Amino acid sequence: MGEFEEIVLLVVAMLEGEAYGVNITHEIIEQTFRKVRLNQVHASLHRLEDKGMVISRMGGATKARGGRRKRIFTITAYGRQALHDIQAIRNKLWQQQPSPITHAIQI
Amino acid sequence: MKDNQPFPTPPRWASRLLKWYCAPHLLEEIQGDLEEEFEYQKKLNGPKKARLDYIFNVLRFMRPFALKRKQNQYPKTVYHMNMSRHYLLLAYRNVLREKAFSIINISGLALGLACCIVIWLWVDSERKTDNFHNYPDKLYNVYYTLHANGLATGGQTIPRGLTISNYKDYKNTFLLADDLKEAIPEIQYASMYTTGYELPWGHPVTFRHGEKLHKLEGSMADEDFFKMFNYPVIAGNKQKALQGKSIAISRKMANMFFNSPGDAIGEILRYENKLDLIIGAVFEDLPKESSLTFEYLISWEAFMAGDVEEAISSWHTFIQLGNVKDRPVVESKIKDFLSKYHEGKEFKIELGLQPFNQMYLYSNFENGKPSGGRIDYLNIFSGVGIFILLIACINFMNLATSRSVKRAKEVGVRKTIGSSRSQLVVQFLGESVMLSFLSLVLALLIVQLYLPVFNATTGKQLLLPVDDLYFWSLLTGLTLLTGLVAGSYPALFLSSLDPVRVLKGAFRFRKSAIFSRKGMVVLQYVVSFLLIISTITVTLQTRFMQNTNLGYDRENLIYIRVEGELIPKYGIFRQRASELSGIAAIDRSSEPPHQMKFAVYAPIKWEGLESESNTTVPFQPTSVGFDFLKLMKLELVEGRGFSRSNPADTSAFMVNEKAVKQMGMKDPIGKWISAWDKKGKIIGVLKDYHTKSLHQPIAPIIVDVKEDLFFGDIVVRTEPGKTKEALEGLEEICREINPDYPFAYKFLDHEFEKIYHTEQMTARLSNIFAGLAIIISCLGLLGLVMFSIEQRRKELSLRKILGATISNILGLLSKDFLILVSISFVVTVPLAGYFMNEWLQKFAYRIELTWWIYAISGLAVVLLTVIIVFIQAFKSALANPVKYLRSE
Repeated sequence: MGEFEEIVLLVVAMLEGEAYGVNITHEIIEQTFRKVRLNQVHASLHRLEDKGMVISRMGGATKARGGRRKRIFTITAYGRQALHDIQAIRNKLWQQQPSPITHAIQI
Repeated sequence: MKDNQPFPTPPRWASRLLKWYCAPHLLEEIQGDLEEEFEYQKKLNGPKKARLDYIFNVLRFMRPFALKRKQNQYPKTVYHMNMSRHYLLLAYRNVLREKAFSIINISGLALGLACCIVIWLWVDSERKTDNFHNYPDKLYNVYYTLHANGLATGGQTIPRGLTISNYKDYKNTFLLADDLKEAIPEIQYASMYTTGYELPWGHPVTFRHGEKLHKLEGSMADEDFFKMFNYPVIAGNKQKALQGKSIAISRKMANMFFNSPGDAIGEILRYENKLDLIIGAVFEDLPKESSLTFEYLISWEAFMAGDVEEAISSWHTFIQLGNVKDRPVVESKIKDFLSKYHEGKEFKIELGLQPFNQMYLYSNFENGKPSGGRIDYLNIFSGVGIFILLIACINFMNLATSRSVKRAKEVGVRKTIGSSRSQLVVQFLGESVMLSFLSLVLALLIVQLYLPVFNATTGKQLLLPVDDLYFWSLLTGLTLLTGLVAGSYPALFLSSLDPVRVLKGAFRFRKSAIFSRKGMVVLQYVVSFLLIISTITVTLQTRFMQNTNLGYDRENLIYIRVEGELIPKYGIFRQRASELSGIAAIDRSSEPPHQMKFAVYAPIKWEGLESESNTTVPFQPTSVGFDFLKLMKLELVEGRGFSRSNPADTSAFMVNEKAVKQMGMKDPIGKWISAWDKKGKIIGVLKDYHTKSLHQPIAPIIVDVKEDLFFGDIVVRTEPGKTKEALEGLEEICREINPDYPFAYKFLDHEFEKIYHTEQMTARLSNIFAGLAIIISCLGLLGLVMFSIEQRRKELSLRKILGATISNILGLLSKDFLILVSISFVVTVPLAGYFMNEWLQKFAYRIELTWWIYAISGLAVVLLTVIIVFIQAFKSALANPVKYLRSE
């Protein structure tokens, strides 16, 4: 799982059943100040779905969408597990860092 | 402006682009997201930026995941055993159910195909001419281009005067072939070639062996000839066949004189009772693909020694290259090869190479370069063939489309049950391919039956090449293509129908479909019109040429060559022959009077001529006997004719009007004129008469009396109805006076017709093809009329009930078609006028393209259309209206 996919997955988990293309994109932009485009998000979502980390269903339509339904993504248990694994690995690696780096970051 | 819209929307084209490329199962979410984003951006940055952003987003989504289509869950097999059996059965039933339509459809296409096949066979056989040699791409004919007076002329044979060969002294002769071979090492073989039978001096040559006498036509050629060309030698030595005073003869000729070809070798044949030639080889009879024709070949050495007569004073020079790639080198070396012999002269001569196998098809010269010839006719007829097939295809398509109305319900049901579009396409295409193959079988049958007739008209020997794989694969391909093209419209159109609407009965042709069908009818009519008009024109021109008053009476004329003992004993012959019963007049001429080819510039001088003549048209000097005017029934304009009672007339001249004009004389009578070293006074002016084919204008003629010439023809006019008697008498005298030559004669009017062989053939062929095109178009029209009546049955019945008369209904139905006919007529007239004018330019004497040629063709087509419409319409106009209205 790439770094961007990890972020997308985290956002999907965060939005709890409300996650779809547009609001995921906006959320990422707001939180990370990255320049993200819709198509990147869509592509990642597809990859995640292929990997089985999210599942999707067609959700309700709104007027803003010209009456079109949105695809709502929810994280799967496997996805959650994968996130936890990554975090655990990171934590573990961080704890083993020699102090200069920790300090450097703190500065 | 767009920004001020109350509800700005994303750019339409971008949305369409998205819709086009995006996989359908993803479209909804992506479109929704993009639109939501657009609304968001609009609020944030204004509509202008939002639109830009939208466009970028659409472009950015062009990524594999969005492009990739979802796989269908169900396998998409188009081919299925049971289904194809079902389709076959249905196609069969459809053919049977609509017998009239099927017959029209199949026979129309079959005629078109048959026509195409015949034309293809003909074109193919013409193209194969001269292609049977071992190295067709190494063989070339050397042609010349002469630049003089700012004009470029040229020809396939090089005039002897330009090659400055020395006739008397063979050993020191300049001979183009030998010199070329010596000077240009890239040339492997080279051979001169000229026939002994071409006009103006050529004639069948008499050979004698023992008691056997035969007249045969043949040629002269160099030693290398058999090495270059693939004329297999069956007896004797190929290498030495044309060395020394030798002759090579065909198998047929060998069998005429000897028991077998093998017996002929080493034997001696006597040529024209003056020269003995040793038979060096016997070659196989020439294949029909050979454009050179000869029964014998006399060695060039024997020819140059002087006793063998030449037929024409310009000769072919054939060369064979050692390597195909050397062509450009040889071309550059050969270009100015002859000019060094003609330095300081007013003209410039260049030589060029024409591939040997193109000589036959490209024999015309324009600006001194080979251009066109027979190939033009091939192209025209190929075009005609393609057009006729096109018409047939259009008909096929039209009929199939019209009939598809009846099949629309079937399509609706099929679609409802679950047939996919591709299955329907396959069904309909398959059906039309099947029908087209049925047509092919019929077409082959027609061709097989018709080929003998065609061969008789064109003098060809075409056969269906049943054992030729290429032919069959081409035919299959063509038929398949025809079937696919013809079936494509109905197949694609029908399969696109919406089942619900069709089943509800709301099926209609779109305006564009009706329009395109009408367009096709117009196209058909245009082709038919074109063919009819050209047929009429060609036929009229041919008839015009045959019936034009030539200025002399060509009936009952026969001519016999002056040869052997006839040369010294012409006087006795004339005396005795004129006493025979059945002979009206007898005289002689240096050339056959209907086709004089001899033409010269320089040796003609006349009173008042300043320095050199600068005429552009060569004179035609001819020598005749005293009674020529009476014999030919020529008219005098001025002065008097030659008279036997005035012996001084042997040094007198007569000229024709054209010659007077060209010489610029005011009072020609009594003025002197000279030809070579003969000088004399003009005693009379002849009214212009035709001395060659009507392709060429009348030439200036100069006539004098020479009754002792060693060549020429004796021309005899027989009394009408007594030809046989006269011929018997002549033969008897000939045999007595000239025993070493067989008696041979020609009818002048037959020979005259032969000049126009090509035109006659064209006229006959275009008759046939125009007929075919009309039949096919009529079949198509018939089908359309039937269909349109079928469609309008109820309307017609209602009209009848409301009081329409039969003529009302007939008028109503024919109106539509007559409009189409008139449109196509208007389109065709300028087109036909242009093409026909081009064709007529080839003739110096030609018919006018009068309005009634167009009128006749227009009237004929209108009449045919009306007849077809009426026959069909009558049935429905007479029918009881209740019958068709009852069903609802």
